[in-house]
Amino acid sequence: MEFLGHLALGFATALSPMNLLLAFIGCLVGTLIGVLPGVGPIATIAMLMPLTLKVDPTGALIMLAGIYYGAQYGGSTTAILLNIPGEVTAVVTAIDGHEMAKKGQAGTALGIAALGSFLAGTVATLVIAAIGAPLTKLALLFGPAEYFGLMVFGLGLAIVLARGSVLKAVIMVVLGLLLATVGTDLETGQDRLTLGIAELSDGVDFAVLAMGVFGIAEILRNLEHPESRDVAVSKIGRLLPSLGDLRRSLGPIVRGTGIGSVLGILPGNGAVLGPFASYALEKKLAKDPSRFGKGAIEGVAGPESANNAGAQTSFIPLLTLGIPPNAVMALMVGAMTIHGLIPGPQVMLKHPTLFWGMIASMWIGNLFLLIINLPLIGLWVRLLKVPYRLMFTTILLFCAIGIYSINNNPYDVYFTAFFGLAGYVFIKLGLEPAPMLLGFVLGRLMEEKLRQALALSEGSFMTFVERPVAAGLLVFAAAVMVIAVLPAVSRSRAKAFQE
Amino acid sequence: MGGLAVIAVAAAAFWLVRDLPGGNGGGMGPGTLPKGLALLLGLLGLALAIGSWLEKGLPLERWSVRGPLLILGALVVFGLAVRPLGLLVAGPLAIVVGAFASSEVRWGETLVFGALMTAFCIGLFKFALGLPIPLAPWLLGY
Amino acid sequence: MKHVLASLVLSLFSGIAAAQAYPTRPVTLIVPFAAGGPTDIIARITGEYYSKTLGQQFVVENVAGAGGTTGITRGAQAKPDGYTIMMGHMGTHGAAPALYANLKYDPVKDFQPIGLVAGTPILIVARKDFPAANLKEFVAKLKDPAAKVKQAHAGVGSVSFTTCTLLTSQLGVKNIVAAYRGTGPALNDLIGGQVDYMCDQIVNLVEQVKGGSIKAYAIAIPERSPALPDVPTTKEAGLPEYQVSAWNALFAPKGVPKEVAAKLSDTLVKALDDEATRKRLLELGSVIPGKAGRSPQALQKLVESEVARWTPILKAAQQ
Repeated sequence: MEFLGHLALGFATALSPMNLLLAFIGCLVGTLIGVLPGVGPIATIAMLMPLTLKVDPTGALIMLAGIYYGAQYGGSTTAILLNIPGEVTAVVTAIDGHEMAKKGQAGTALGIAALGSFLAGTVATLVIAAIGAPLTKLALLFGPAEYFGLMVFGLGLAIVLARGSVLKAVIMVVLGLLLATVGTDLETGQDRLTLGIAELSDGVDFAVLAMGVFGIAEILRNLEHPESRDVAVSKIGRLLPSLGDLRRSLGPIVRGTGIGSVLGILPGNGAVLGPFASYALEKKLAKDPSRFGKGAIEGVAGPESANNAGAQTSFIPLLTLGIPPNAVMALMVGAMTIHGLIPGPQVMLKHPTLFWGMIASMWIGNLFLLIINLPLIGLWVRLLKVPYRLMFTTILLFCAIGIYSINNNPYDVYFTAFFGLAGYVFIKLGLEPAPMLLGFVLGRLMEEKLRQALALSEGSFMTFVERPVAAGLLVFAAAVMVIAVLPAVSRSRAKAFQE
Repeated sequence: MGGLAVIAVAAAAFWLVRDLPGGNGGGMGPGTLPKGLALLLGLLGLALAIGSWLEKGLPLERWSVRGPLLILGALVVFGLAVRPLGLLVAGPLAIVVGAFASSEVRWGETLVFGALMTAFCIGLFKFALGLPIPLAPWLLGY
Repeated sequence: MKHVLASLVLSLFSGIAAAQAYPTRPVTLIVPFAAGGPTDIIARITGEYYSKTLGQQFVVENVAGAGGTTGITRGAQAKPDGYTIMMGHMGTHGAAPALYANLKYDPVKDFQPIGLVAGTPILIVARKDFPAANLKEFVAKLKDPAAKVKQAHAGVGSVSFTTCTLLTSQLGVKNIVAAYRGTGPALNDLIGGQVDYMCDQIVNLVEQVKGGSIKAYAIAIPERSPALPDVPTTKEAGLPEYQVSAWNALFAPKGVPKEVAAKLSDTLVKALDDEATRKRLLELGSVIPGKAGRSPQALQKLVESEVARWTPILKAAQQ
């Protein structure tokens, strides 16, 4: 149980007044910035990184980590209140979370998200401390073929996400996959689907897509239906989850934590799948799946826990291998390097105070988040009462600035407008954006892994069969897709019978 | 209706990637996935169109023009203005254009609000966070 | 006529005066890559010195995209008043013409070179269990088609792509090549043993090599790096023609007033002598150019020779 000793060392470091203060500031600032629509964790960390340059390395990293969690939670807040997911992982939260907000249960949704995240964070911290290092060895077994299997599995999940017709969901997923191919080809460098626009040669930015299809479209929808909007705002309802809510959420939280922790360890952004998997699981386990998509609290509790667990465990590859599993971690690497601390396998040995201090402060950061956010819930909910005609322009401006600041490129703003139009069209046609977003995210990863797997096996598709983990995942994926499609098929059969 | 739109998108995508190599199953090339997906999308769109033609689905809602035009317009205006004219101009411009998308718009209130919001954003993004967003290049040079 | 003359003289004076006073407001330093990468870090370290010495903030603006060309395009088209400069590197000012057909700038003609900042040497690394004990054995395996050696790179246009292409074209071999999106995933699979080797900047690899999760066969510069003193140079290990390092340099758009350019260049020379700046750059494993290599003329010559070097190799690889 030597990890307890390590944790003790870590807490000793993390509980120093300076580091506590830094963690607090990080969480606070991260939350406030992350809440701004259009500004997700990546943008937030990039914006706030210069602030951390003035502090010592350990403190700077603690602050950065705090900013990260804060931004993640802030992003969930925007997802619930405004239906604008700032990051992939917030997309799922937006589905049921925003529905809950529309029913006047915004406070409950936010509260459950905070609590779930905290519990998940606690467990994840223990996981990292106890078995972090050995787990990375496991993760290294995942090669391109295995990842491909995982991604296909994720696609199956995307279909389960659908609220309505399965056919429409599949269409959206495929559309998302197609969008993911925009940009320069990985292997040959040729431009695909870029319409000759240079700014598209790096592909579509997720933030731009999400903002447009979710956020802008939402504004457009609200402008057309002022009646439905006002009703939701006037019924504020409880600010915190009730006991009944807590009871119903416990199972999802536990399951979500498990799923998120495992997926977060996989280098290469496996954490992305966490919330989606949790949502799909909860929907399948629920006694009344039709509640999902209309404001089921399990649909927020599970994914949020998975989200946070994954966010924390995704530090593991960074701290043990020195390899950032996603763009946010890459920024952390940059921050560490600027401080002269180049991450790598030896960080754990050479800088134990830093390593364990960071892990301990992760838990403290989670605690701070809870403390900071629960009172803030009241504030946010009251903000909803601002007359919409003022609010939506504010949201619009923040979106524009936020999107622009990602890459200092006005084209990103134009694309957001374009996707906003697309989102509007989708709403009118009854097509849901969430599966498309998942398809988009998975699409890039999937194609990359597929091409890599085939390149490494010299074009042989047998590689998927020969490697047990990959084969297993693919079979699992097929099973999931069948399960997803089955209800729809039997429903249409039943209808056919009746006629 | 949706089905037709989907088919249109699929056809467009297919046409755009027609020049790329690799769609014959001989090997994976850059064109394989887009072509395959476009094909799949087209088929699905067809299914959707046929399905909605067979059943009596819900009628489509009206489409409004004012909202989308002004909101999207506001974004475009911001994008166009931010680099040459800076936040000082782009901010209020975007707010004013956007505000007109709502039927409840009032001139005076919008202008004041636009100015206030822009000031707040400038304070937040430019000074507190130090982001390199142009403030007013024509006035201050940065 | 008198008025014209007078105003001409006045503007000349104010021009000189302005140049003397430069900078009078913050300067934008465009970094054509995302925050946190090697180029960004080097730019920030340099920018800090400039800010301290010249008394005005040098603000880094990250404009990532298309292998760095988006940011450089913007820099090239900026007003040449000295208030927008950029950090280019081997990719943007050497390999870009060969890789991007619609490149909107000419690395040789459209810039006022300020000076070379730091080079990051390239390492040839392999997974730790690869059956070759040194560079000679490794090259033998590369040349043996039965060995099916697998190379990873971080995407067309990345440093790892161009430098490994140089290696394979110099040796005349063709390997199995797997493309990744970025150094992270590629490195990950290298450590995991899914691929066999990579060529990349020392900054990205130094800790992995020290920790033992991958092994380095050689470093492609004339002298061993203090960051990894046990790694032989390509000269020592038997492949002297493989000399490459990803250099980073500061540029300004063409047409910047002479005094401004001179001031920028002089400050850079001082920056590279400054203890604190040197320390941070060296910690990264980068190589600081000697006095002779720091002049704008040296940089211009480097750009020209790099474009000449990379164009035929990369064009051939794309067939």
